[in-house]
Amino acid sequence: MRFLATAALAQLASSLAETHDVFLPRRDGERWMLGRWAPAGRGEVPWNPFRLPEPLKSIWFPPGQVVARWPREFAETPARPRALFGAKACDLKAVACLDRVLRDHDFREPAWCAARASTLIVAGDCTDCADSCFCTMLGDLPHPTDLFDLCLSPVEGGYLVEVGSERGARLVADHVGLFEAAPAGAVELRERARLELAQRVRRQNERFPVRDPFERSVAKHERTRIWAELAATCVECNACNLVCPTCHCFLLHDLPEGDGAVRCRLWDSCFSAGHARMAGGLTPRLQLTERFRNHYEHKFVTFPRNWGMTACSGCGRCIEACMGRIDKRECLHTLERRWIPSEIERELD
Amino acid sequence: MRNDLAPGPARLEEVIVETPTIKTFVLRPAEPLPFRAGQFVQLYLPGVGEAPFTPSSSPSEPERLEVTVLAAGRVTAALHELEPGAVIGVRGPFGRGYPLAKLAGHEVVVVGGGVGLAPLRSLLYTLFERPGLARRVSIKYGAREPHELCFQRQYASWAAQEAVDFTPTIDRPAAGWPGRVGLVTTLLDGLDVDVSEAYAVCCGPEIMLRFVARKLVDVGFRPERVYLSMNRNMTCGMGICGRCNVGSLYLCKDGPDLSYAEVRDIPYALG
Repeated sequence: MRFLATAALAQLASSLAETHDVFLPRRDGERWMLGRWAPAGRGEVPWNPFRLPEPLKSIWFPPGQVVARWPREFAETPARPRALFGAKACDLKAVACLDRVLRDHDFREPAWCAARASTLIVAGDCTDCADSCFCTMLGDLPHPTDLFDLCLSPVEGGYLVEVGSERGARLVADHVGLFEAAPAGAVELRERARLELAQRVRRQNERFPVRDPFERSVAKHERTRIWAELAATCVECNACNLVCPTCHCFLLHDLPEGDGAVRCRLWDSCFSAGHARMAGGLTPRLQLTERFRNHYEHKFVTFPRNWGMTACSGCGRCIEACMGRIDKRECLHTLERRWIPSEIERELD
Repeated sequence: MRNDLAPGPARLEEVIVETPTIKTFVLRPAEPLPFRAGQFVQLYLPGVGEAPFTPSSSPSEPERLEVTVLAAGRVTAALHELEPGAVIGVRGPFGRGYPLAKLAGHEVVVVGGGVGLAPLRSLLYTLFERPGLARRVSIKYGAREPHELCFQRQYASWAAQEAVDFTPTIDRPAAGWPGRVGLVTTLLDGLDVDVSEAYAVCCGPEIMLRFVARKLVDVGFRPERVYLSMNRNMTCGMGICGRCNVGSLYLCKDGPDLSYAEVRDIPYALG
């Protein structure tokens, strides 16, 4: 374990910016956002206490991206490697979800694979939590355990640095003058801070007690009417899906361009009524309640079946974004608690 | 790295008018496109859009692809405007295709509705080219009206094959129509096959698939031997874009041909 003083972290980012596109948290008053390292800026790497409001998938899987051109041309890959500061544990779990879908099976999504491979991740512990944070309800913790190159934990005067990959080790070796030996007792302090925050997240979610695995709670309501109740205030704005760091639905939008054509991949949302509409007009999941159920079923039942992990990181962005004040934790709690056989819908088929 | 979202060029060689609303497009891809019967391709009209179709031609001719298309939406309407010589895009194949290995040695009932006979024609060619693969092929085909029956020029040659029978039906009586009248499900009573051992492969509108599957099970077919072509809106073809999922199955990579046993307990799987 090493130590990196606050000023040395800025020097590290500045040094990386010579060869990398550097993404880092930015703060505008009370608003946090993902920004880019600007040489003319204040030259510091702000510490975001918990995940940013926007999902970090946007840097590898942007809301809109040209993925092909006609006549045939391979999708562009980022010209420069990237470095990302400020990723939290939930962000990394979401990256693991998307890696499974976009990289680790028969089909490999070229833009994702290239962008992921060329991005250095400097993650960090959460040092506070949003009211909507619920990673502990999913059995996860508010500090990174995997998928980072370096992980920072704030201690007096700077950060304790854990190396998580060979690339991270090389980064430290290349900037050896910036790193110092970890101060005595710092690791113990880190562990205590991690434990305390995990307990805080647990405590703030005690009002949503759950015992059963979410997979069971959601699956048992496959045919009940509970979804109409849960979706009662949903206005179908799609915000929950668009801010979700694990959602990966997209549509291909084809446009003419000069003598040829361009093919864009745009984020899409399964909450849209027309998401699965077919040419003949038939629309699977025409009812909002079916789409609402599909959102939960995908995240908690079918994604685990297909990919071996839950497609929810507990980041709470969907809770923050919801105009109908639908709280995923409340829904999961209700799904587990409620079981009224008379609510089972008549079988359609 | 290969880009599976980028279509490759294919030249349109011929357009065959099948019915007032259905045309067959004969395509020659720049590179042969090997596929199994039932697998689908994405046809791409540069700058307009893309839609999934299962080729209706024989998989033994990967250099020459026939795709039979009903004008039903924006992309298909634009396709119908094309003249021979046009160059469009194609990518694929995607999906698993029909379960040929399972059909081997069995009687196979092929049930089609409307343009749903198009994907099945690829299966029929495969079965005809490999006599003895299926012990028997019984084709049941329905359309709303006589002029909507697809591939009419081929019926006589199909029925002339050994161990093959072909029965068309139309939904409503029509002047001059000498054949059966009624929904395609009415052709499934009293089938001359050993229903407990036979396979069925069905393609048509979802509402038809639902009732055909129920009917086949009612007359004695095993649900795991009734295959349904669930050709929904599939965009990426790789199980990523999230458009075609039915429960935990992605029709584009786990299907589009799935057995009734696999889908019948999934809510809303069949319309």
